[in-house]
Amino acid sequence: MKDETSQIERRVNRYWYSDGIGELIGGGVFFLLAAYFALQQFLGEQSFVGGLLQAGLILALIGVMYIGRRVVNTLKARITYPRTGYVEYRADARNANLRRVLALLTGMAVAALSVFVANRFNMIDGMVAVTGVLVAIIFMVKQGWISRLGRFFYLSAVSLVSGGILSVSGFPRGYNLGLFYALMGVALALSGGLTLKNYLRENPFPAETGNE
Amino acid sequence: MSEDLRGINDLDRLIHEPARLLIATILSTVSSADFLFLQRETNLTKGNLSAHLSKLEEAGYVKVEKTFKGKLPLTVCKLTAKGQKALAAYRQQMRMFMDKTG
Repeated sequence: MKDETSQIERRVNRYWYSDGIGELIGGGVFFLLAAYFALQQFLGEQSFVGGLLQAGLILALIGVMYIGRRVVNTLKARITYPRTGYVEYRADARNANLRRVLALLTGMAVAALSVFVANRFNMIDGMVAVTGVLVAIIFMVKQGWISRLGRFFYLSAVSLVSGGILSVSGFPRGYNLGLFYALMGVALALSGGLTLKNYLRENPFPAETGNE
Repeated sequence: MSEDLRGINDLDRLIHEPARLLIATILSTVSSADFLFLQRETNLTKGNLSAHLSKLEEAGYVKVEKTFKGKLPLTVCKLTAKGQKALAAYRQQMRMFMDKTG
């Protein structure tokens, strides 16, 4: 019975990803990040605008995530909910402490890995390699493992490979990171676009709208 | 038959019915879901789902709210605290029964 409940729970969680909208908007966020790093490299950290860009990264990230979430919700309300129904997910309080500890340990491991990579291998750009690993972990663990959707494992493989290749490319760091995020943006947009195309084909807009 | 096994007679029959058990289980995994989502997930007809939801609502296990999203009518269902308790108790009883009968 526990297995059946877990299956139902997984199916309901998977519903969030069934339309690919989250990936499409995520791809847009990655393109913005690509533009940010490329622009920062182009302007130089010493320039006034470059310095502003660097200082405002966290604020810009929070703003982009907030706006991205709003756009996803708006698109879902227009595209997904009339076709296959509306679900409000519960903020999961289960294992909250365990998840906090895991997040902390992951952060520490990533920081240690980046210091190690930067010191040990001077010939590679550790930042891009670590970003590739980090993004891969997010796709693999947070989305692939929880939803059991194969496409997230492919995305995590793309992240690992592009992070690895770019780390030895010899480009300046800003362009390297920009290129990494641009590649991931393309991968996400492709994955989300194909998923949305399939979703729309399988779920045409119902002639009779609304609920019982 | 042991006293433990006789406990099967005390199962909450309102939850025990497969369609209602499925509805309650789906609602237990989310904060709320609308009629269309429940219909797709359970594969029940509109009439059937409506009837089962009414029974669950009468028992106080499910709260049904009819609202509008823009111009579209929206029926949002939510498992109440009483419903969650009943589902948890049902699961425990079933688990105990399955353990005893191997």
